Amino acid sequence: MTKMHKQLWQGCIYLCAAVLMTACVNAIPSSPADAPAASGPLTVLEWAGYDEPQYYQPFAANHPDGDIEFAYLDQDSDAYAKMQSGFQIDVVHPCSNWWGVWVQAGLVQPIDTTRLSNWSGISPKLAALGNFDGQQYFVPWEWGFDSILVRTDKIEKMPESWGDLWDPAYAGRLSIADMPEVNHATAALALGIKDPWQTTPEQNEAIKQKLIELKPNVLTYWTGSTELSQLVASGDVWIASNVWPDTYGTLLDEGVQVAYLEPKEGRLGWVCGYGISANAEHVDLAYEYLDALISPESMAQEANDFWYGAANMDALPLIDESVVKLFELDDPTVLDRTIFYETMSEEQRAEVTEMWDEVKASQ
Amino acid sequence: MERNKLSWLTLFIGPSALWLLLLFVLPMGAMALFTFRAGSFGAEREVFTLEHYRDFLSQHSYHLLLWRSTWMSLWVAVLSIVLSYPVAHYLVFRAGDRRILYLLILMVPGWISFLLRIFAWKVILGSGGALNSLLLWSGLIHEATPILLYSPLAVVVVLVYVWIPFAALPIFASLQRIDNSLLEAAADLGSPQWETFLRVVLPLSMPGVGAAFFLVFIPTLGEYVTPLLVGGVNGIMYGNVIQSQFSRALNWPLGSLLSLVMLVVVLPIMLLFNRLIKLEEIVEI
Repeated sequence: MTKMHKQLWQGCIYLCAAVLMTACVNAIPSSPADAPAASGPLTVLEWAGYDEPQYYQPFAANHPDGDIEFAYLDQDSDAYAKMQSGFQIDVVHPCSNWWGVWVQAGLVQPIDTTRLSNWSGISPKLAALGNFDGQQYFVPWEWGFDSILVRTDKIEKMPESWGDLWDPAYAGRLSIADMPEVNHATAALALGIKDPWQTTPEQNEAIKQKLIELKPNVLTYWTGSTELSQLVASGDVWIASNVWPDTYGTLLDEGVQVAYLEPKEGRLGWVCGYGISANAEHVDLAYEYLDALISPESMAQEANDFWYGAANMDALPLIDESVVKLFELDDPTVLDRTIFYETMSEEQRAEVTEMWDEVKASQ
Repeated sequence: MERNKLSWLTLFIGPSALWLLLLFVLPMGAMALFTFRAGSFGAEREVFTLEHYRDFLSQHSYHLLLWRSTWMSLWVAVLSIVLSYPVAHYLVFRAGDRRILYLLILMVPGWISFLLRIFAWKVILGSGGALNSLLLWSGLIHEATPILLYSPLAVVVVLVYVWIPFAALPIFASLQRIDNSLLEAAADLGSPQWETFLRVVLPLSMPGVGAAFFLVFIPTLGEYVTPLLVGGVNGIMYGNVIQSQFSRALNWPLGSLLSLVMLVVVLPIMLLFNRLIKLEEIVEI
């Protein structure tokens, strides 16, 4: 080892020590007295696109100077990982299949629904998904279907059940989501499993085999709405699953001949909503914001812009008639006919993800 | 070594050594440590276990994917070199004064977003794309269908396309350093052009070829975006599993282990190549 090397290494070691020491000092939690005073702005961990004032109208009217700051999430797992690493935020917006793990990890606080003037209109069925041990942790906001979409000008035989995706008639023309939980649920329904959220190891094995059997039909896996609409519009894909209402809307607007089906087992459904973070600094503002989000006018705006359902049933009269008709939002049975995603535990999620990787790796 | 020279060297190497240490060596260490943690967060994070190692060893699909990805990366690296070598050769020996201009033109696609270029391939090869339109018009086919897309082959084709300019650069540099008098001497001694190429030019340019190989092979092995977009059902690569462990399963320990294994696979290949083509010479050119 030359002298220069030695010096370099010495320098490195000093530096490491310095870095480690700084890290340790920072790791010592500061006392609550050091926390900044609880005056605005409210901070929200939000999906890009929902950060516009029309989706929280009363709050925006009350705070003309803004008083709100957004941080963005890309996928539920991102948000969860971020919060687990101690991210400081007031309001969060995860989806129902993650709500349970958020509550279990103590990342959100119970919500006093009596403080929300618009709570009465919220669908009890959707509210129940955000209720754990008798306490409301999440306020449902937007919900939508996960279903089969077909090119009516290309497909002759319409699929009637989830199991029909396996029909060899669709060989090489199907695209399914590159999402483990979604395909786990689809295959479970195709196999006649009533509760896709609590599957036994034997059922998991059957689901894996079933998904491997689907591969000859699949042209490619889609990863996002934009990619999927391009795949369908270009004619590469004639039948797609599990498609969201906004993709259907985009394709209709583009003039592509598509239909959005309802399999006989029922469509799958997802719902996302808002919770107040356990480390929230602006709890009062958070309540005001939540109440503004679920006001009928804000919710109708959301439904009209994204073609999603509104968790507040009082918003129905304000939603465009075409959207209501297309998704039968005014049908009182529509929510009961839909199979909503429920929370998966961390272990279950790890298992399902591994299963999906195995399916993709198999030949 | 003189004292003065030494401190100058420290000054110049210092910042990059620091950079490497902080952003490469230390994170690598942290990653290696993470492979022993039971979970990514909370109390589980503090529990140490060999569970993920057992999981990896028993999971045949990971081995299969790693094997497949290594093969695909080798193909991509070799094809990129085979296709970019003539280009570099032309630029150095035939293009004359315009070589820099042509080199710039070769680099132009690099200014366009990587994703956009992949989408361009989908537009060209897809059902509604240029190739299909041509085939339909000529009557060779009667129904539009994606050609080549959504297969492992598509991943290789797209990646080779993406990497050609980068493979050409080091080859270009090594060819340019060949002393012209060597070629003249070969010609004077009656060597035909092809023999001069095989016995003089090619051996002298091997360091550039080696650099090109690693420049392409290593990033390709960890690739996950291209397989996702054009790989279809059977074109998934090892990088996709790493991504899925980190961002979906939130199983960071297993994700770290998978990444570490990839590193362990790359190292012997690098050492083997070092034996074959003397990597040190790349540094000397």
